[in-house]
Amino acid sequence: MTIDITPAIAVRALTKRFAEITAVDALDLDLASGRIYGLLGPNGSGKTTLIRLMTGLARPTSGEVRVLGTRMPNREILGRIGYMTQADGIYVELSVWENVRFFADLAGVPDEAAAADVLRVVELYERRKTPALQLSGGMRRRLSLACALVHKPSVIFLDEPTVGIDPALRVQFWTYFRQLAADGATLVVSSHVMDEADRCDELLLMLHGRLLTRGRPAEVRAQTHVEDIEQAFLKLDQP
Amino acid sequence: MNARRTFAIARRIAEFFRRDRRTLALVFVAPIVIMGLLGWVIRDQKPQSSTVAIVNDAGSLGEAARTQIGGQATSAGLTYREDITTDDAARQAIIDGSIDIAVMIRADSTGPKVVVLTEGVNPADDAARVGTLREALAGAFGGQSTPVLEQQSIYNESGTFFDAFAPALVGFVVFFLVFILTGISFLRERVGGTLERLLATPVRRQEIVVGYSLGFGIFATLQVALVLVFVLGTVHIGSIGPLPEINLGLGVPIAGSPLLAFVITLLLAIAAVNLGIFLSTFARTEFQILQFIPLVIVPQVLLSGIFWPISSLPGFLAPIARLLPMTYGIEGLREVLVKGSGIDASTVQLDVSVLAGMAVLLAVVATLTIRREVA
Repeated sequence: MTIDITPAIAVRALTKRFAEITAVDALDLDLASGRIYGLLGPNGSGKTTLIRLMTGLARPTSGEVRVLGTRMPNREILGRIGYMTQADGIYVELSVWENVRFFADLAGVPDEAAAADVLRVVELYERRKTPALQLSGGMRRRLSLACALVHKPSVIFLDEPTVGIDPALRVQFWTYFRQLAADGATLVVSSHVMDEADRCDELLLMLHGRLLTRGRPAEVRAQTHVEDIEQAFLKLDQP
Repeated sequence: MNARRTFAIARRIAEFFRRDRRTLALVFVAPIVIMGLLGWVIRDQKPQSSTVAIVNDAGSLGEAARTQIGGQATSAGLTYREDITTDDAARQAIIDGSIDIAVMIRADSTGPKVVVLTEGVNPADDAARVGTLREALAGAFGGQSTPVLEQQSIYNESGTFFDAFAPALVGFVVFFLVFILTGISFLRERVGGTLERLLATPVRRQEIVVGYSLGFGIFATLQVALVLVFVLGTVHIGSIGPLPEINLGLGVPIAGSPLLAFVITLLLAIAAVNLGIFLSTFARTEFQILQFIPLVIVPQVLLSGIFWPISSLPGFLAPIARLLPMTYGIEGLREVLVKGSGIDASTVQLDVSVLAGMAVLLAVVATLTIRREVA
C-alpha cells in the first residue's frame, strides 16, 4: 500500500493585500487529508480571506495555494471542494429541496439520493418542500451546510458553520464532520468562538494575517500554559 | 405627537442621505439630467427640413393655388419639389423617402379641399411637419376662407394616434420590466452570497450569463407574446349580467409580421437582461438599482425616437441615440408593424443585426463583471 504524502492543501508564502491592509501575510501551511483543522482567530484576523484564497475565489498578491496538488484558482478542482460561506448563500424563494438540487447540479451530481442523504444528516429532509424563506436562522445554516456537502467533496471549508445552531444539533454536526474526516476528507472549520476547538484534530491560530501557532488543542494549551484557548490568544499576542 | 421622536426619524433620513452619497447625488443629478434632456430634445429640436410636393387635381383654379402654396412653402423654409405633379408620384415619393408631405388640391361639389398626406409612422413627427405647412397654407389663402384641410397618411391609414405609438410602447415596456427584474435579481446574487457560492463551484461565468438569459428569456418570451397579443388582438365580450360589454385587447391594426416583431422585441429583452446583470455591479442595494431608471431608462425613452424622431435631435444627442438598444428596437418595430416591412427590408436587417450585436456585446460585458474576486 502506498501512502499519499501530498498534502490536501499546500500554502506557500501566501500574501494578500487590500490597499493598506495585509489580510494574509507570507503564510506557509500544509494540511493533510482525513483531518479536521480548526481555523481560529478574532474577527478581522484573516480567516475568511485565507479560505477565499484556498478556494480560488480570491487571487493572492504573491505566493500560491495548491489544493489536491492543483494550483488555485482552478475551476475543475472546485468540483471536489465544498464551501459553506459565512452568509447563508441560499435562495430564499426556493424550497429546501430545490436549493440542494441546484448546487448538486452545479457540482455535477445529478442523483437525487445524494440530495436526500445530505438533507437527512442536517435533519431537513422532512421539510424539503418548505420554502427557505420560512426556515428559522438555524435551519437556514443547516440548509447552507447541506448545499456545501451534497457533492461529497474531498476538501471542505466551513466558515463559522455552527453560528445559530443549538447545542444538541451542534453535537450531531461534529459527529458528521468526524465521519467525513474518517472517510478521508480534509475539513477546515473557521470559528471565532473557542468552545469547539477541542473537537478539532489540530488548531491553526491566526492573528493579523499570520499563523500564530498550530498544534493539537492540548499542545496549544501546554504551550501557553492556559486552559482556555481564548486566553491562549491573549497570551500569544504579547510581544 | 412627540417632537423628539419625530425629529429622530427625520434625522435618520438625513443621515441615510449623508451615508448614501449616490442617492443624494441622484436627488440632485437626476432632475437636471431629465430636465436637460427634455429641454434639449423639445426646445433645441432641429427644424425639420421637410420636402413637400403639391399636386393639383382641381383644374386651372387649383393651378393658381398650387403656385401660391408653393411660394409660401418655400418662404416658410420647406423644400418644394415642383416636378412631382400626380397623386401616385407623390405617394411613391413619400414611401421612398424623397419627400415628407404631399399637398393635394381637390375640388368637389362642396368646394375646394386640401388633402395633406404624410407617412404616418411617427405621429408626433407628422404633426410637427403639418404644423409648419399649415402656416404656409394660411399665408397662401390670405384673407380668403381656408379650404377644408383633410389629413391622410400612407401607413396606419385608418389608425389612431395610439396605433402608431403602440409598437414603440411595446418595445419600451418589455425593455424596462426585464431590465429592472434582472438587475434586482442579479444584485441579490451578488449581495446575498449566492454568487460567491456559485463561483465556488465549477460553473463558468459564461454559463451563468447564458443561463440567466435563458431563464429570463423564457419569461420575456411569454411576456412579449402576451403583450403583442393584447396590443394587436381584440376580443369582444358581450355584457354578462351587471358587467358592461368590453373589448379585451387593444386591437391595434398592424401591417407586418407579428413573428418578426416578436423576434425584435425578444432581442431587445435579451439586451435588457445583460444590461441588468452588467449594471448590478454598480449597485449595492435594490434601491440603487431603481436609481438606474432615471439614468438608463428615461434617456432611452426621450432619445430613442418614441416621441421625437432621431433626425430632429440636436447634434450632440443624435450620436447618443444611435448607441441605445431601444432606438433600434423601436425603429424595427415601427418598420415592421406600421410600415409592414419584412426581413428583406434593409432597415429591418440593420435593426435586427445591431440588436443581436448589442445583446452579444452586453452579454460579454456582463460576463466580465462576474469576477471570481468579488470581495
